[in-house]
Amino acid sequence: MTTKKIHKAKILNLQKCSKDMYLLELEADNSFKSKAGQFISVYCERTLRRPFSIFSQKENIVSVLFREIGKGTKYLTSLKPNDTVDFSGAFGNGFRIKNKKALLIGAGVGVAPVFYLKNELEKQGTESLLISGFRSVSDIPSCVKSDFIVTDDGSNGIKSNVIDFALSKAEEFKPEIIYACGPKIVLQKSSELANKFNIECQVAMEKVMACSIGVCRGCVIDVLKDGKVQNATVCKDGPVFDGNEVVWQ
Amino acid sequence: MAIETKNIIETRLGALTFKSPVFTASGTYGYADEYDDFIDVSKIGGVVTKAISLKPREGNKHTRILETEAGMINSIGLENVGIERFLKEKLPVLKAKNIDFIMNIAGSSLDEYTQLGEICDANKIKAIELNVSCPNVKSGCLEFGVSADSLYSLVKGVREKYRGFLIVKLTPNVTSIEELAVACKKAGADCISAINTLKGLEVKFELANGKFRKTKVQGGYSGKGIQPVALSCVNRIRKAVDLPIIGMGGIYTLEDMLKFFAVGADAIQIGTANFTYPDSAQRLQNELKEYIINNNFKDLDDLKEKIRTCFNE
Repeated sequence: MTTKKIHKAKILNLQKCSKDMYLLELEADNSFKSKAGQFISVYCERTLRRPFSIFSQKENIVSVLFREIGKGTKYLTSLKPNDTVDFSGAFGNGFRIKNKKALLIGAGVGVAPVFYLKNELEKQGTESLLISGFRSVSDIPSCVKSDFIVTDDGSNGIKSNVIDFALSKAEEFKPEIIYACGPKIVLQKSSELANKFNIECQVAMEKVMACSIGVCRGCVIDVLKDGKVQNATVCKDGPVFDGNEVVWQ
Repeated sequence: MAIETKNIIETRLGALTFKSPVFTASGTYGYADEYDDFIDVSKIGGVVTKAISLKPREGNKHTRILETEAGMINSIGLENVGIERFLKEKLPVLKAKNIDFIMNIAGSSLDEYTQLGEICDANKIKAIELNVSCPNVKSGCLEFGVSADSLYSLVKGVREKYRGFLIVKLTPNVTSIEELAVACKKAGADCISAINTLKGLEVKFELANGKFRKTKVQGGYSGKGIQPVALSCVNRIRKAVDLPIIGMGGIYTLEDMLKFFAVGADAIQIGTANFTYPDSAQRLQNELKEYIINNNFKDLDDLKEKIRTCFNE
């Protein structure tokens, strides 16, 4: 089988939706399939492709939410509808979706895969609560609908750290599982929160990647498996891991 | 009726014949068929496996890769499954899928290299590439590859145990790569591959709340930016020894590949470009074929001869 994972896709829409976040909507071919928590690797006229979590897929239309932070992402934001984007994927293991009352925590651009997941949970009729956290009002992407929005500076929604707020909500919501994506510290705290309630926690990790398929070993993290610390690649073994499997320090 | 056509890009390296001169470089392509989702790996010249050591290796702990302006720095530290698992799990895949390959091996002592050579011989591995040039591990590899004397002993040690096609991959991080090539030839190597990565460092700073945060990787520099260094090394090796040479360093396009042929390479490896374009090997091989046909060269050897003549005029 050849080239099934390389896609040349037309840009349907590229929309700025926060101070530095963009929603890129692509027309993939009909063979493209994805799950919440998986990512695509987008060619950005640089040496390494940029891995982006999938924000949504409706039929063959796939979109990603990304932050413009360097030359690669600036190249992408310079593109226009009808331009072609070369991407590969979908890669990695997505969230293992359970039929359990779910607390979803998304911090910053990490809200993308949990937003995808929330839609999937709704489709199967599973109750969920999405709490998303941002630094400030200008960081909130307009394309995301959350149940609760918190900001560090209180400039929009509730003034709180996303984890503190999630803890207070968890007490009344009584989730049976937590799914989280965001900076490492948020994921670690999400995992600790889940342990406090004695429930499962799935975290979607991020790391600079080269190959996207587990061969270059560039994106490894430490995980605890079979009683010993081992390497796991974020791109292939992840990006979603069990919170208790990850060695956090 | 099917017409038997001659493979115009067939490539001879010493006693071995390959489907094409396009190989994928060690560390960028896995062990076997990992890129099967992108191309039919059995159609390319061959896969050079990830470096394989006697025992499995965990690799380095810190951040391992960082992009640079014209390439990337890696400090993987030779993480690999070890030769036992390679032979048990990966070799059968290579055989079943009819993928041509060169096994890259790395030791941390002379004795380990010799043992690896012996195991490869016993398992009838047709070609091996000695990694004596990885800049990312504390002991072994590079330390043997920077001095002609130690490299001579190492290659000779492996040669005594291994009867197949013996390739030595050289480092550019030396004053005279020619001396290393000569030492390899004297010790009985069949082929030289060059270059491994350059020693490099990249650091990125982020300013958050008035404080600097850094991401730093010190290791092997590869990609587009190293191509002139690689071309110079290959050309100097070409002048120093008459062994076949597999050239590599920042090859992304047909034009890049032709430059390597011009300066003396007999075959090439694609490394970092696999990350940018996972179908590079197949694409460049197809482009090479078309170029030969469209410009009325007889075959690859004819093209090589003409471009070399031009270069050396």
